[in-house]
Amino acid sequence: MKTLTKLALAASVSLASTMTLAADKTLNVYNWSDYIAEDTLPTFEKETGVKVTYDVFDSNDVLEAKLLSGKTGYDVVVPSSTFLARQIKAGVFQKLDMSKLPNHKNLDPAMMAKLAELDPGNAYAVPYLWGTTGIGINVAKVKERLGEDFPVDTWDIVFKPELAAKLADCGITVLDAYDEVVPTVLNYIGEDPKSQDQKVLKKKVAPVLDAIRPYVRYFHSSQYINDLANGDVCVSIGWSGDILQAVDRAAEADNGVEVAYIIPKEGAGLWFDMLAIPKDAGSVDEAHKFLNYLMDPKVMAGVSNYVWYPNAVPASKPMIDEEITSDPAIYPTPEVEAKLFTFPVYEPKFDRAGTRMWTALKAGK
Amino acid sequence: MANTQTKAGWPSWLILGLGFLFLYLPIFVLMFYSFNESRLVTVWAGFSTKWYGELFRDDQMMGAVWMSLKIAFLSATMAVALGTMASVALVRFGRFRGKTVFTAMMTAPLVMPEVITGLSLLLLFVTLAQMIGWPAERGMLTIWIAHTTFNMAYVAVVVSARLRELDKSLEEAAMDLGANRLAVFFKVTLPIVAPALFSGWLLAFTLSLDDLVIASFVSGPGSTTLPMVVFSSVRLGVSPKINALATILVLSVAAVSLLGWWLMRRKELQRQKEMRAAYAS
Repeated sequence: MKTLTKLALAASVSLASTMTLAADKTLNVYNWSDYIAEDTLPTFEKETGVKVTYDVFDSNDVLEAKLLSGKTGYDVVVPSSTFLARQIKAGVFQKLDMSKLPNHKNLDPAMMAKLAELDPGNAYAVPYLWGTTGIGINVAKVKERLGEDFPVDTWDIVFKPELAAKLADCGITVLDAYDEVVPTVLNYIGEDPKSQDQKVLKKKVAPVLDAIRPYVRYFHSSQYINDLANGDVCVSIGWSGDILQAVDRAAEADNGVEVAYIIPKEGAGLWFDMLAIPKDAGSVDEAHKFLNYLMDPKVMAGVSNYVWYPNAVPASKPMIDEEITSDPAIYPTPEVEAKLFTFPVYEPKFDRAGTRMWTALKAGK
Repeated sequence: MANTQTKAGWPSWLILGLGFLFLYLPIFVLMFYSFNESRLVTVWAGFSTKWYGELFRDDQMMGAVWMSLKIAFLSATMAVALGTMASVALVRFGRFRGKTVFTAMMTAPLVMPEVITGLSLLLLFVTLAQMIGWPAERGMLTIWIAHTTFNMAYVAVVVSARLRELDKSLEEAAMDLGANRLAVFFKVTLPIVAPALFSGWLLAFTLSLDDLVIASFVSGPGSTTLPMVVFSSVRLGVSPKINALATILVLSVAAVSLLGWWLMRRKELQRQKEMRAAYAS
């Protein structure tokens, strides 16, 4: 019996020592599934000797719940920009040590200026990949209803009641996210998309949405991917990544449906997936190394080539496939890019008014 | 036997058929499309097994499958042990102070929304880590604990139902013959409720394999489960690898339950034979 205890003790001691050995130089990353190139992590591990554990989350809300309750165990997390802004205010991230991020200079200054509205001084996070909130259309059906030469690169096709009425029978859908639709409408009517004025909301935004309400088939944030690809709906306000998926699916299905993604000329909302380091991260040094690595033009070109999302490192552009960079739906033209705007983070008061307006809008058919 | 049953007419067969069709057709369609060449889940483009190959090359997904199976196995086993003890206490120990409260609390996790269970467990683990330094890191262990808590309730319900039906005179007879309580439990009670334990275990296993909400709240580094990967991949489009994986899972579950049924039936036949032999002698 005694020898048995001794043996068990010895075993547990050796187990503990191997565990501490393995514990130095690891990095825990929390990101979306498949949201990184296949060779990104192996190359990083080879170059730095840091062992990376890559876990995935399925919604920004889960990530936020974990960040706010603390001690996530992750060293690098990837929230979307509006979520990030809230989380910075809640104090869950640590300031980046710029001396460890020499590649920070590679980032696009214009994008960084826009991001500074959400992350003051760009102190807490660096952009990873980004996208826009625009319109997905069924090319043939829209042409059939609006005319062959009608310029479709405008929000008019959704927000102008005369045009919306013509398109209603083949299906208009709207994202079920008022905090993205309201700024889009504000931008369309020439107001500041970041306005948090309840009067403007009531007097100017609500009438636009009420006028097109009868022509909207549904409010949903993911169903339109399939419906666009199958030709069941023909105009959807949606996220670039999702609509480009619908474009691909329709093309592969070869069912005669051609879907296109449009960033309207009036400008569109811009969102980022951001890299940030939680305050209680264990491997801060390794996390900085990883962030620095993800600002390297060659690495980001690889990621964009795999994921088909644009990145914020201009020097990577020549190394990205022509097919991606020449597509104005992914990389907008400079004129359109200048008109992109970030979504604001709403004050609780405006948030309540907005939610109420949105609920009433959805209910009143 | 046969003459006590009335012959089923065609309407009942039709309803039975439609019911089965409704239950199983989606699964067959899913399995069928796992052999689809195309990346699109809904368009047939020729037979191919390439998604199976892709699936086995996908380390993230295989790792998640392995993690999910481990957690499901451990939590189902733990839940059966704890759930059985709880139901024995509640059904067998007569009336005791607070029995109704305990019974109600036992079944509470069944009706509790998952988000609430998940969030409260997350807060519990965070507070514990701050107060006593354990669990230092959330991961497989915390998911195991979380799944055991809600699985235990399901097992307890299944097992108590069986225990209540059990003929008490069998246990009393064993005690008359000199067996102590422990021996009675292991030699009489447990073998009789074994089918309930088995189905409770399977139920718990399935629920654990299926759970997304609770697991994603209490997970930590290096403990991504299969549902998390599936739901996370929605962001960039679900690939037919999921179909391939589902096919493998469905077939293995079918094989396991078939094996279980066969073992159980063999045992039952054996028992009947022994009983006949005992009566004859």
